[in-house]
Amino acid sequence: MATQPQVVAQVPAGAPSNPTEAKVRELAKAALAEGRVDYVIGWRYGYDRSQAIPAFISDPAEADELIINPLIHHNLVTFLKRKMPDPPNAKIGVCVKGCDSRTLVALLQEELVDKERLYVIGVPCRGTFERRKIEKEFSDEVVDIVVSADRTTVTATTRSGESKDFAFDDVLRSQCTACRYPNPRYADVMAGEDAPARLEGEPVWPGIDEFEALSAAEKDATLARVFETCIRCFACIHACPVCYCWDQCVCRSRKPKLVGQKVEASENLMFQTIHMFHVAGRCPSCGACDQACPVEIPLYLLHRKMNKELYDMLGFEAGVDLDAKPVFQTFKIEDALGEH
Amino acid sequence: MKFLTTDQLDAFLGYVAGQARVVAPVKDDKGVVLFRPWAPGMPVELDVLLSKQSAKEYVFRQSETYLKFGYTMEGLAAAQTESPEVAHAAATEAEVAAVDVAKAQDARVKAFETVVVDPVNEAPAQVIFGLRPCDVRGFVQMDNVFSGYGGFYFDPYYNAKREATTLVAVTCRDPRSTCFCTSVGGGPAGTEGADALLTQVEGGLTFETFTPKGEALGAFPGFAEVSQAQSLYAETVKETAASRVAPAFDLEGVRDQLRENIEHGDWHDLAMRCISCGTCTYVCPNCYCFNITDEIVETRGERMRTWDNCFNPMYTLETSGHNPRDIKSNRFRNRFSHKFWYYPDKYDSLLCSGCGRCVANCPTRIDIREVVRTMGSPRPVTVTGEEA
Ligand code: SF4
Ligand code: SF4
Ligand code: SF4
Ligand code: SF4
Repeated sequence: MATQPQVVAQVPAGAPSNPTEAKVRELAKAALAEGRVDYVIGWRYGYDRSQAIPAFISDPAEADELIINPLIHHNLVTFLKRKMPDPPNAKIGVCVKGCDSRTLVALLQEELVDKERLYVIGVPCRGTFERRKIEKEFSDEVVDIVVSADRTTVTATTRSGESKDFAFDDVLRSQCTACRYPNPRYADVMAGEDAPARLEGEPVWPGIDEFEALSAAEKDATLARVFETCIRCFACIHACPVCYCWDQCVCRSRKPKLVGQKVEASENLMFQTIHMFHVAGRCPSCGACDQACPVEIPLYLLHRKMNKELYDMLGFEAGVDLDAKPVFQTFKIEDALGEH
Repeated sequence: MKFLTTDQLDAFLGYVAGQARVVAPVKDDKGVVLFRPWAPGMPVELDVLLSKQSAKEYVFRQSETYLKFGYTMEGLAAAQTESPEVAHAAATEAEVAAVDVAKAQDARVKAFETVVVDPVNEAPAQVIFGLRPCDVRGFVQMDNVFSGYGGFYFDPYYNAKREATTLVAVTCRDPRSTCFCTSVGGGPAGTEGADALLTQVEGGLTFETFTPKGEALGAFPGFAEVSQAQSLYAETVKETAASRVAPAFDLEGVRDQLRENIEHGDWHDLAMRCISCGTCTYVCPNCYCFNITDEIVETRGERMRTWDNCFNPMYTLETSGHNPRDIKSNRFRNRFSHKFWYYPDKYDSLLCSGCGRCVANCPTRIDIREVVRTMGSPRPVTVTGEEA
């Protein structure tokens, strides 16, 4: 057997680049060393420094690979959902941003995850990037993304060395631009001071006004166009932390046959509409589905629209309060009257 | 070798489109590069190296109708009111006794006599333009499965399309960091399976043909003769490209080690961050697993083949309810073992052309190079992990 050359699958993280990152490493290390958890799920660099991947750390020494920066878009709560916790009785440390924590709260409200087995490290969040927005500015491959110390400028560099600067706010994911809960709503320990919310007061729903302004026929045409390129890979629903019947999903079941297997716009939309209804009340518009989709279907159109309706009709926001009842498990007479 | 000036590219595609459907990489409204049927005026994207999804869809359709069928209304009514199923569904013993089984069988037969079956196998002539050499090899690797290799299965649907298809490749000028074609027997200017190959040089593209299908395209009147400088330039582009592809692993011994390591606990650890979706297999130019289902609406239906993938939690779910690949790491192991062990055992080649799409498009960037390197090498012995 010849020795194998090394293509680096995970580049090293190096010294902590900010206090939250240092704190997360410290907390993870301590929890592992004390045996409080079997492993910690956080984020580390992938095969280059322009992207993060979920990290499963079980060796305290490896905790120094954990990173906290605007690349950490993955919602790690998806690894806690049904059939994902692995092994089933593991004690798991998990890092959550504001939006991630809301999906965890939603699972906890429905008693779908055992709180006692978790050690939740809360990460105050200053927004995460839409990497693909950056990627599209180049035809070559982006291999490095660096944020300036004052968090105003983002510099992306390609494999051939071409680089461009972007304003921090211009490359945020759209939900981050309107984030009202950047600080976890549930955590066992916080890894830093609270981050300022980008939006106070009433919520706004990026992209939804434009959609609502369309006529019914234009909406149909938009949805048909948008879902035409879906390849039904199911990355969206697998990345989604609150979509938990995944191995029994009616969208691929043939018994019952609710969704046709033919991959075409109308069946694809049917599948996504079912997903939208199934996660209503748990989905906080964290955008995990949008990020997972390889062909960039704007799934937020459906989910954000649903969340807007739930807010406008019932004053409900998913996963903000652990002690609250999920919206579909309550009934108030005012709701029926439309006076929340 | 011929030469196509950049300003003649559209005319060339127009010429080809006059004879066959042209499929080419184009940007959609979000800027995502995908293979799509081309129409005059659509800019072809040759600078972004890889389309998000491979072009396999145009030969091995994601949804392929085998045949259409339908009952006549009378036949359906007879089947519904008098069939043996009705007897089984009857509530009381008296009701069961009252069903005339012979008559019911007879009705069933009549119902089937009225079934209309309409086989479908559409295969219009097409030219897939702008494939990368790894995409082309994907077809070669699928050919083994569908085209009767070693007397195995011959698939009329796949082959009708395959025969009607001309594959025009383009040399990869700037391989990505995720490319590893050279580690699996290919290269950025590889010609295996290609009918023609274009190489981008100063001012245009050189054009080489390897088959009669490729030569037929050479009849386009807008080609110029290639100069010596241009062909030398093309050679340099090819060499530079090959040097940009980093070796990912050494294939020697991989197959044996995969067999050796089948129960190794490292499979479990490698699979931890996989979310068990199907992206890697659906973007791959050679993953070929499929399902066959009947899609029925009222009295009419279609029997169709649709892509399946080994990460689907229902992939090997048996009728009994048992699933031999019930846990994620078993499904995960299947994908890589299939490509580097099971398929090689059967077809004496690999089921991976090194395009790196599965690496770059995986939501959690599971890296096939790392997996092959890890599980394709001798592993320290561990106790197999307890799993979900
Ligand atoms: S939505 Fe809020 S909490 Fe979530 S990543 Fe964006 S800024 Fe952070
Ligand atoms: S991730 Fe995208 S392509 Fe895949 S099923 Fe979901 S919407 Fe379709
Ligand atoms: S397994 Fe991955 S690298 Fe290999 S051909 Fe398929 S998508 Fe490309
Ligand atoms: S390897 Fe990646 S793309 Fe493939 S199933 Fe796992 S998460 Fe999805």
